[in-house]
Order: sequence, then structure tokens, then C-alpha cells
Amino acid sequence: MERFYLVLFFLFLNIANSLGQKHQFFSGFFPEAAITKKLKNDQKIIVKIEHQDILYNNSGEQKDEFQFTHYRTDLMAFYDLKLNPSKSIAVGLFHRIQDGANANRLIQQFASVNRLRGMKLAHRFRTDQTFTKGEAAEIRLRYRVATEIPLSGSTLDPGEHYLVLSNEPIFSLQDGEFEIENRLVFSFGKLIQSSQKLEWSIDYRTDKFIQEGFRTRLWAKVGYFYSF
Amino acid sequence: MINHLLRLLFILPFLWVFSQAAMAQDKMERELRIKEIEVPKEAKEWISDTFETTKRLKWYQEIYESGYSFEAKFKSKGKFYSVEFDSLGLIQDVEIEIDFKEIPRDVRTGLEKELSPDYKKSDIKRLQIQYSGASEDLKDFFHKNSFKRILTRYEIEYIGLDEKGVSEFWEGLFSDEGKLIRKRKIVVTPSENLVF
Repeated sequence: MERFYLVLFFLFLNIANSLGQKHQFFSGFFPEAAITKKLKNDQKIIVKIEHQDILYNNSGEQKDEFQFTHYRTDLMAFYDLKLNPSKSIAVGLFHRIQDGANANRLIQQFASVNRLRGMKLAHRFRTDQTFTKGEAAEIRLRYRVATEIPLSGSTLDPGEHYLVLSNEPIFSLQDGEFEIENRLVFSFGKLIQSSQKLEWSIDYRTDKFIQEGFRTRLWAKVGYFYSF
Repeated sequence: MINHLLRLLFILPFLWVFSQAAMAQDKMERELRIKEIEVPKEAKEWISDTFETTKRLKWYQEIYESGYSFEAKFKSKGKFYSVEFDSLGLIQDVEIEIDFKEIPRDVRTGLEKELSPDYKKSDIKRLQIQYSGASEDLKDFFHKNSFKRILTRYEIEYIGLDEKGVSEFWEGLFSDEGKLIRKRKIVVTPSENLVF
């Protein structure tokens, strides 16, 4: 297990170092937590918090300095309706706390999670509309594919670890300008109890492929998911 | 000030979660991947005597509250097999994944009839034909296609939508005539980490 963390740490450092040289790049700590309350008739309410602190930035006031700068905090709430055990639809509200760029967002999504032999495969289709003061509304279309692979046995049992690999291309339109972002996430998780998951992830985001200012962001994530 | 407060709000709960995660325990039922060396000799011999070829053979130990068993999973002649042995390595049953249309028409009709009173709609997701019997009889079945003293059953995983509009995953064991022997609800671990 120590070797796994060591490899992960060096991988993180290596990517951070190589990417930091060429274009705008920043990296930091990204904790997230989601709490799900199950309701009657296959309905759920999900409350999620995401928080991002920058530890390294190759541009800006504290260029190339180790820092601990608050970047954003996102608060989300979703209403989810299960269509059947593998498919669901959800709508959500989102509020972003970011210096000079507080924003609100509406979210709509369709998701399917399929139990395959020895893994779960999830597809998520999402549309969202973001409203930031002084800016034109941003409309995005997102598709995420994620796979969860148990590390002991073909099913995930309490106390066991798992891996998650996900990728999400995001297409956005704002003020007539089209843009693409991509999010690649590699996670190592533990099903603590049947209702709780804890994940350690590396989240690698690239954006501004079309407009000027190609940017990469690398986050060390810790995620906690609790369902009751 | 707000930034410091936000940081504290996030970091403290995570420290608490880490400490809880280290100590947490849950129910005992588990399936563990194990090395071949940990498998009873009898079970390994039964597999090599019965199947000429096995691809990607993996061994698992199923741990229950009351004991444990062993399971071999592999691919042979294009089909997925799972072979269960008791804790001493004695054969229990052999399950082979098949398509719904591969089972005899009367069994198919029987299965559909059994499911229809309980559910407005059902959707079979996975079907396994299960063969059980004495060790030598099962070997004869696979070598000579002899059905002597072989018990055939069907294990299916399906989504059932009941009259109240609730749909859930079920696993049912059916006889070779398509009669329900027993069923249990499949508990699926939360997927919020994949969806939100």
C-alpha cells in the first residue's frame, strides 16, 4: 500500500512539474463531500460541497510560490428520481463562492449505472446554465463515463478498496464563443460501510482548447460520500 | 477571514472521516480474490480434470457469517463459468452464463409466468444455468453430456417493477421447469461517487 501512495505522489509531482513549464497551470487540494438522503418512491436529495485551495500557481501574484489560496467553494443540491435500478434523472442548484466571480447554476442530468461482470460502468449526461454577475450566461453540455473496479473480488463489499477511472469532456457556449474542457480523474477508494465511501483522487483538468490561454489544473482530491 | 473559516469547515470534517474510516467495520459477508496456492487441492484438481481449457482462471473465497466457500471464475469455449466448492474443496455447483434465448421455450414461458404476478414489468439482466450433482456425475456431464443425476436450475438477475411503481434488482433461483425456488433482493452499493 505504501508503494501505491509513493507512485501516486511521484506521478502527481511529475505531471505538475512537466505541465507547469509551458502554459497556465495551477495545482492544489480539493476536498469534496456528498450526503444523500433517500426519500420514498425512489427519490433522493443529494447535497454536495466542493472546495478548492491552490497550493502552486505558475502565474499571478504569488507566481511559483508555495501558497494556500482559496480558489472556489461550490455548494450543490440535487433532486434525483430513479427511473429503474440503473437509470436516473436529476435536477440541481449550484452556488459558487469565488473571489469576484460568485455564480449560480442550474443543472439537469440523466445517468445510468450498469453492473457488469466485476465492475460498474456509469454514463452521465448533463446540461447546465451558469449565471455570473457581469458576464453572459454560459451553457454547457457534459458527458462523463466512469468505471468502478473492486480490488478484492468481483463485487465491492464493505471494508474493501476500489479504483475509479473517469473522463468527462465539457462543451460550453458563452457569448457566442465555443469552448472545450476535459476532466480526467483517477481515484482510489474504500467502501467504509455499505453507505459510506472515501476516495483519494488525482483530478486533471484541461480547458481553453479553442480560445486563448490553454490551461491545466491538477488537483489532489479527497472525497467522502454518505448515503442514508 | 471567510477563507480561513471555509478552510476550517472543510478540513476538520475530513480529519474526522479519516479517523472513522480507519476503524470502521461492517457485515462479514465478503468475496475475496485469493491466490491459487490458498485453494484446496481437491478443487484445483476438479477444475483441471473437468475442463480441458480455462481462460483467465481466478479464485475467490466467499466468507459468510457461518463459514466460507471457494469459487473459480473463468472463460471456457466462449462462455463465462463460475464453479463453487465448499470449504474442503468439494464441488457444489457449476454456473454458466447464457442468453435468455438459449433456454428451452417451456422454461422461458415458466419463468415469465412466475415473474408476471409479482411485477408489472421485469427485465432479465443476467442469466446463469446451474448444474449440481455428485463430483463424478458432474464430470460425466461435462465430458459425455450425460444428464444422469444432474440437477439443472436457472439463476437470474432481473429488475422487477412492482405494483407500487418500485423497481429493484432481484436474484432468483428457478427450477428446470421455470418455477421459482427462492429469491433475494440484490443490495447495490451507492453510486453517488460515479453520478454526482
